[in-house]
Amino acid sequence: MEIDVRHIARLAKLDIPEEELPRMEQELSSIVSMVEKLPELASKESLLDPENTMELRPDVVQPSFPRDEMLKNAPDTAAGCLMVPKVVE
Amino acid sequence: MRKLYEYSATELSSLLRGREVSAAEITEAALGRIEAVEGQVDAFLTVTADEARAAAERVDAKIAAGEELAPLAGIPVAVKDNICTRGVRTTCASRMLENFVPPYDATVTEKLEAQGAVLTGKTNMDEFAMGGSCENSYFKKTKNPWDTSRVPGGSSGGSAAAVASCEVPLALGSDTGGSVRCPASFCGIVGLKPTYGAVSRYGLVAFASSLDQIGPFGRTVDDVALLYGAICGHDPRDATSKNAALGEVRGEVKGLRLGVPKEYFGEGISPEVKAAVYAAVERLKGLGAEVVEISLPSTDYALAAYYIISSAEASSNLARYDGVKYGFSGNREGTLNDLYLSTRSQGFGAEVKRRIMLGTYVLSSGYYDAYYKRAKLLQGVIGQEFADAFEKCDAIVTPVNPTTAFKLGEKCDDPVQMYATDVCTVTVNIAGLPGVSLPCGSDAAGLPIGMQVIGPRFSETRLLSIAKCYETAVGGFAVKEM
Repeated sequence: MEIDVRHIARLAKLDIPEEELPRMEQELSSIVSMVEKLPELASKESLLDPENTMELRPDVVQPSFPRDEMLKNAPDTAAGCLMVPKVVE
Repeated sequence: MRKLYEYSATELSSLLRGREVSAAEITEAALGRIEAVEGQVDAFLTVTADEARAAAERVDAKIAAGEELAPLAGIPVAVKDNICTRGVRTTCASRMLENFVPPYDATVTEKLEAQGAVLTGKTNMDEFAMGGSCENSYFKKTKNPWDTSRVPGGSSGGSAAAVASCEVPLALGSDTGGSVRCPASFCGIVGLKPTYGAVSRYGLVAFASSLDQIGPFGRTVDDVALLYGAICGHDPRDATSKNAALGEVRGEVKGLRLGVPKEYFGEGISPEVKAAVYAAVERLKGLGAEVVEISLPSTDYALAAYYIISSAEASSNLARYDGVKYGFSGNREGTLNDLYLSTRSQGFGAEVKRRIMLGTYVLSSGYYDAYYKRAKLLQGVIGQEFADAFEKCDAIVTPVNPTTAFKLGEKCDDPVQMYATDVCTVTVNIAGLPGVSLPCGSDAAGLPIGMQVIGPRFSETRLLSIAKCYETAVGGFAVKEM
């Protein structure tokens, strides 16, 4: 089982240091070989659980959380907005 | 003489009503106990002494005014640190949320507060509820009150240890693959994983949304019933929640058919655990239950399906931690991508990264059908096997953990070995069923052994009734002196 750890890390937005790559690959392989035990099943069954239907709440206009409350946990804000590094030149 | 902190929530509630104690006295007893044993147990990440005293004062004022009290009024409750508490830091035991103070309450915390329950603090856990030993916390390692060189189980290990060491009579945990039942079993207390949808998850930090449930811990079955009754029910803010309610927990097994699935008593289960659970089944038979042998053939595949589904959902749920909106923020000097990478690489611990990597892998292009889809199909098969089994029996009895509590550090180096500790509990989450874990003896070293009683959806009243019947027959569950 070959797992491209670098590629997966890129997708997951994780920086795995070079020296940790072999260990991560070995751990992932051991987990993957465990999960590979799954049998092939006829795939006609639905993936949705008919007994667990979900119910949406009525769409009513109501007050939301105050903006300053919600921004209290943000690492960096300006003018009531979240700040991110510049994305366009 | 029994100390106030040793009383059950049910007893405290009646003492309070009889004006034999005040809510302030109950709270001081709990806070005093926390101060006395927390150094050995390390169950809490945050102790909310001031808020607790204020809440107790409000209850005492109600009593003085002759007002009606809700069942949980004045009762100290600890809450797992992945359940949002307005104004009280909620970390998920992660560096990522080290300083996160929720601007809102989870529905369950709101319900506790409305009843006048006294929040004494937030408890330790495996980071983002990923783990079976409580050792994956960024902050500290909780110890098992029965032997402090051993783990309390996970992921809700702090909640279980706090209840087992009498720091609080009640606590809330969450259970995605066994995280309430496993630590309840290791710590010798009662823990309930309710039916999927029975308790609102609004305000529970998401791990694997199709499996997560909030559940109560207590030292007695009545206490667990008391807390479950207070938190269950429909909530428009959780689309999966249903109108669940608790009936009268009579403590009877007469005429009930108990299924014993042979797949749960295989070679991975220690002989002592098997013997204790079989003995408990015999005891229940003596109390009037009928015992039937059943089979759940896909049990062997459940662990694999569980790790695929839970990791896939976790990788998606944890994508929100980007260093922008809240939580830990990494390098803000470079590009947006640098910010994401440094935030997530420094903010998450090793196990969380492993699960995100696994989840990303099983969902990645070319592998989705082989893993995630197959696991979801197997989920349907496992659910059907349970449904078939419940044609032949009213509840199913199994072990909770393959062994009793293991040593701190014993399984840290081998994720697969650690994952195997969930083998008896994950099926219940996969099928969305309720399961209760209760003590059924101890091993040669005196460590508690737990048994699990599983029922059809929304059969919590029946499960707690079976548990109570057993509890009464054995004269109550032992509490560890500390």
